[in-house]
Amino acid sequence: MRTLSVLLGLSRRPLVGLPLAGLLLAGLLPAGLQAQQATRTDPIEGIRDNSTGFHALTNARVVVEPGRVLNDATVVIRNGIIQSVGSGSAPAGARVWDLSGQTVYPGFIDAHADLGMSEVPEGGDVGPTHWNPQVRAWYHTGSTLTDDSDRRAALRSQGFGAALAVPKQGLFRGSAAVVDLSDDGVRQRILRPSIVQAISFDRSNQLGGGYPNSPMGVIALMEQTFMDADWYIRAWDAYEQSGRAFLPPETSAALQALEPVVQGQQPVIFETDSEEEYLRASRLADVYGLDAWYRGSGLEYRLIDVIADRTEPLIIPLDFPDAPDVGDAEAAINASYAQLRHWYLAPTSPGQLADAGVEFAITSDGLSSINEFLPNLRVAVARGLDAEAALAALTTTPARYLGIENTHGTIAQGKVANLVVTEGDLFTEQATVRDVWVEGRVYGVTRPPQVDPRGTWRIASDDEWGFDAVVRIEGPFNRLRGYVDIPEGSPVRFDGIRLDLASAETVTETGNIKFSFDASELGYQGFIQMSGAVDGEEVYLTATMPNGAYPEFSGTRTETVEADARGTVAIDVPEIDLPFIRPMMEFGVESMPEQPAAVVVRNATVWTQGPEGRLENADLLVENGVVSQVGQNLSAPSGAVEIDGTGRHVTPGLIDPHIHSGTSGTNESGFAIVPEVQMGDVITHNNIWAYRQAAGGLTTAMIKHGSANPIGGENVIVKMRWGALPEEMRFDTDTRTVKFALGENPKRRQGRYPDTRMGVQEIIRDHFRAARDYEAEWNAWEATGEGIPPRRDLRMEAILDILGQELLISSHGYRQDEFLALVRLAEEFDFRVQTLQHGVEAYKIAPELAASGVAAVVWSDWGAFKLEAYDNTIYNARILMEAGVVTSLHSDNSAIASRMNWEAGKLLRTGLTEEQALSTVTSQAAQAIAIDDRVGSLEAGKDADFVIWSANPLSQFTRAEQTWIDGRPFFTLEQDAELRDRIERERNLLIQAILQSGGGE
Amino acid sequence: MSMHTGVRMKLASRGLRAGLVGAAVLGALALGTAADAAAQVRMTSPPQSQAVAITGATIHTVANGTIESGTIVFEGGVITAVGADVPVPAGAQVVDGTGKHIYPGLIDAYSTVGIEEIGSVAVSNDSRELGDFNPNIRAEIGVNAESRHIGTTRTSGVLVTLTTPGGGLVAGMSSAMNMEGWTWEEMSLKSMAALNVNWPNPRAGGRFFFGGGGAQERPSYSDQVQELKDFFAEARAYRDARAASEPTRSDSRYEAMIPVLDGEVPVVVAADGITEINDAITWSVEEGVDIVIRGGADAIHVADRLVANDIPVILTSTMSPPGRSYEGYDGAYSRAARLHDAGVRFAISGGAGALYTNRLPWEAGVAVAFGLPEEEAIRAVTQAPAEMMGIGDRVGTLEPGKDATLLVTTGNPLDMMNDIEQMYIQGRELDSMDIHRWFFEKYMAKIAQLRIVM
Repeated sequence: MRTLSVLLGLSRRPLVGLPLAGLLLAGLLPAGLQAQQATRTDPIEGIRDNSTGFHALTNARVVVEPGRVLNDATVVIRNGIIQSVGSGSAPAGARVWDLSGQTVYPGFIDAHADLGMSEVPEGGDVGPTHWNPQVRAWYHTGSTLTDDSDRRAALRSQGFGAALAVPKQGLFRGSAAVVDLSDDGVRQRILRPSIVQAISFDRSNQLGGGYPNSPMGVIALMEQTFMDADWYIRAWDAYEQSGRAFLPPETSAALQALEPVVQGQQPVIFETDSEEEYLRASRLADVYGLDAWYRGSGLEYRLIDVIADRTEPLIIPLDFPDAPDVGDAEAAINASYAQLRHWYLAPTSPGQLADAGVEFAITSDGLSSINEFLPNLRVAVARGLDAEAALAALTTTPARYLGIENTHGTIAQGKVANLVVTEGDLFTEQATVRDVWVEGRVYGVTRPPQVDPRGTWRIASDDEWGFDAVVRIEGPFNRLRGYVDIPEGSPVRFDGIRLDLASAETVTETGNIKFSFDASELGYQGFIQMSGAVDGEEVYLTATMPNGAYPEFSGTRTETVEADARGTVAIDVPEIDLPFIRPMMEFGVESMPEQPAAVVVRNATVWTQGPEGRLENADLLVENGVVSQVGQNLSAPSGAVEIDGTGRHVTPGLIDPHIHSGTSGTNESGFAIVPEVQMGDVITHNNIWAYRQAAGGLTTAMIKHGSANPIGGENVIVKMRWGALPEEMRFDTDTRTVKFALGENPKRRQGRYPDTRMGVQEIIRDHFRAARDYEAEWNAWEATGEGIPPRRDLRMEAILDILGQELLISSHGYRQDEFLALVRLAEEFDFRVQTLQHGVEAYKIAPELAASGVAAVVWSDWGAFKLEAYDNTIYNARILMEAGVVTSLHSDNSAIASRMNWEAGKLLRTGLTEEQALSTVTSQAAQAIAIDDRVGSLEAGKDADFVIWSANPLSQFTRAEQTWIDGRPFFTLEQDAELRDRIERERNLLIQAILQSGGGE
Repeated sequence: MSMHTGVRMKLASRGLRAGLVGAAVLGALALGTAADAAAQVRMTSPPQSQAVAITGATIHTVANGTIESGTIVFEGGVITAVGADVPVPAGAQVVDGTGKHIYPGLIDAYSTVGIEEIGSVAVSNDSRELGDFNPNIRAEIGVNAESRHIGTTRTSGVLVTLTTPGGGLVAGMSSAMNMEGWTWEEMSLKSMAALNVNWPNPRAGGRFFFGGGGAQERPSYSDQVQELKDFFAEARAYRDARAASEPTRSDSRYEAMIPVLDGEVPVVVAADGITEINDAITWSVEEGVDIVIRGGADAIHVADRLVANDIPVILTSTMSPPGRSYEGYDGAYSRAARLHDAGVRFAISGGAGALYTNRLPWEAGVAVAFGLPEEEAIRAVTQAPAEMMGIGDRVGTLEPGKDATLLVTTGNPLDMMNDIEQMYIQGRELDSMDIHRWFFEKYMAKIAQLRIVM
């Protein structure tokens, strides 16, 4: 059955949801698994191994499931299945394992294991898979399961008996199989093939392919692929239903494999690397109706409020960072607050999730070494994760996620004998895993010390270089320590010297002991090492002396040490109360600012940047986030927040139509034409610039795609809502704009068309025409319904939106020639270019731009940084405005975006009036990107985005004192001061915590 | 002085011309101005031949306070008198400065004006010579007197730049350049103003230096510091051997070091971090050379030691982003004020190279918005850099005997609310035309032409 399914996975119509009869039977009728030989297809070779498979684990503490413990219990195993659990004694004939003092847990299940099996084939994938090598949905780990015994042994050593083997290559990675971690052959190890499709946001460069090479390109490809999978079903249906009356659609194993996914019949598991990726995956799941699971990033503590209500499977790693370097004053000064906080909070993330009532599984994936798993698990428990919750996250929860809860996850009669045998409490002590049982077979992990050498030993020697001594050995087995006393009257004259042991250990295989100490105080250069055998209360040792002698010693124990075998896990950091803040970094806030019902700023100089002009001694009234009135002596509703604006200036919030901070990527350069790519898909709130920009009076900005493409991606307009989630930063406008780029940047990508300014225009024109052809094909099919239904092509649809003036062109460029050509090209297709951006030479075609209704977005004073920028002039904006062009400034720079008032101020020296100058960062900026219905001026009905300045905002000596967005104070000098105090306080506490825990460097 | 009419007219009344006058008038105006401009563009002024007295102005001497309604007289390129009751010499051209302010010309202590032209066009840039030790490289001889950036720099009020080569450990000599002249020779105010040392970066994965074949990673920090010490030691041995008339072969690099070792030329050390600044100070004490720290992002953390050793700092960018996320948004803006409060001597430099040396006023002005007294901001771009770079006897203050290198403004030139109306270098009044204004005149004429046609 398993093999059959594997084959079917590649066929066009897999038998989705086919019950895995064998396993269900195993759950109901454990005896079914006994007849192993009759269900195996491989012939017998050599002499058969027929060990009885009949075991009794006795005298154990058995944690049968989270929260249920049996003491002094016996677990009986027969042929891989648990036959009984309880207080009975071992049945006759069973091999007896005396587990006195040991604990048995259900075998752990890793719901997202990297079993290292998905090497990319040499020469790449072959066959009709998918045009994009990153789309490998057709792949499934079951089909290429290899004997990766090291990896399995490593997972077993951490307690795991079963795992989801997740493919690791590409964006659509293929489907994952549930496997056991025994050393059986590959055909025996698969428990469930292809149960979930794995998706990642990280491309695998070794698979090749230029597109996508950006976070937003990745999402665009995902969306197109989900749509294509849906189309693929319909296209083939149409073909079959026509009686194969025409040529078939293309064959794609990847789209075929995604059919159950887009139909909601097979889950997907998104591997996320950040909390933003979790949110992005979650959005995709909503839009495309996916049954989504999530492999978390370890940053879930930053999203507790969002995740608290979620019930989708969540599988989290235990990737806890090392402490930042605070080894000297300069290092401490350089340590970032965000990293310090992450160091402290990451280990609390699992506990925080559990406290919030979120169910989750824990994976070993995401660690730099798998051996970090149990130590980190114990840290998570020490830092607040309930031990029962931890066990559930490793047993019952993943068993249910993976659909193997009838056979795995607890210790119960009839279940598969996957067990973890430990010395000590695995979650709270420095416990040791002794054995891991997988399907009734034992895999030794560590052996217990066979002697207990701890105590005080008096030893003596008759040999020439020997001496009398008292040796003390104590501490837990895995960290023995002690000292050597040379008593008075010893043959060598070292009266009263005590030497700490440099090392001490029991040699597990033999039960022997060895230890060493620095002998320099005894007059030797080097160490004395002693090793030998403990025989009850006697010890026999041979020393290795620095002088080359090997004297023998013997002695007796004079005192034993009563001590725990293991130490408990120490919480080596102090309790620090770190409030939840968003974003979880410098200047993050505990909540978004409140929106008062009414706010009135009194007696200020109000620059309306609208028809009312600049008003002296005026009031601004805003209500419910919207400007209500501007004028003198306004009456405000009772309870309005009153702000004295005497001596202050109030302006609309500043607008920058061109920044690049605030998204996780900038350029999708995999293709020359990528308007399907959306910057709005990758907004990040972990962006300190948003705060700094708000601090400089910026309230709205357009985050632009990069300039690598003649037609780039769709831009996104955001407001600087510091403290919000990414999606909440988006400005809710219908205006959509797309990046075009002309000149040096799009043509400098070697080996990719175009290479000239002429080629740039031609590839744009050709794609405009292609979109018209696409539209015509759709129209024809909709009219007749004949043939293969057309596929929705997000790129073509975006270009149609451009042609329809719904997706407004915002084009990067420098020279007049290329700009003029684009303006004329648009006119050839009967639409208008919205803005030219940068426009270092825009002034040279100012009258042409005015006549064509194209707005210009330019710099105040940038130039000469490249050849096409050499003809810059600071009079650019002035000339454009003289010609009647809507003219805005922009920064294209995170820092400059935080001081756009001064950029406008620079224009004063070109002869503009103050209001004209400010309009280039307010009203004209809004007009340039077609959002002037909402922002850019202080007029009744517009968004209450305003800035209160210490003086004239165009003066170099002025600073912003308050920045309000939607009637909420996102920046005030007072709050800024408080945040600085908090940062300083917490930084100090965290740096001290690192020094205290010995993790200085 | 009719050639400045255009500029003054613009400043007299701000606003779009189209909004003030009819299209036809605009056309005539713009055409006239453009024709005017064509004859003037890039015209270099002759040496001062007639005494000039600017009267009734507020004179910011920087050295000796501010004089309300004062007069400044200069002759032969040199200031002869400054004060409230200064007689106007016979035959002097009298300029009515009523309501105007007079400031020393601004000085950028670290720039590449003249040796860098277009950022991405490598052949247009001469700022980095090959090799680690280039004390014999002098910036002045590479200064292109026709560089577009010279004109745009001086119209921003920056009349002197310390044009500085980069690259390697010992990058070469800064030259103090006046922002006008027919040749570099005429422009040069001081050929060897300062030796530049790029202090190595002690932090792992540190700074890459550029050699002939592109970026190369340096040897370890301590190795680089040792190389620097060895170079100075060898130079000193060379000097002493020459002085003792020992037979030695000539060495251009060590020859150039002699005035440095003799204390005639200061050493500017580029260093931003605590370790670099501390180690540079230790090194300067060992070597017995006077240093100036350039960069100084973390100088505030070493302020006591800088004060104790009287080592000044050239802040290279007060408008850069905060160095660390937890610093306030004003982390760089307030740097100058914090150094001032700590008693450290400092200058403010643009630090942004030739292209944007004209932003120097804003770099200093922003410090005022964030706590630096206005007069200290002016000092940081006049007297302070002049004194640090060994040209304090010539420029940086308005005092008799110094060059008449000054600005006539409507107010503090560090604030864009005010305009610079006239500029003088060594007493000769400068043309306000620069490439920016030239394009303005030309394309205003285009607008006017089209309007006339329509």
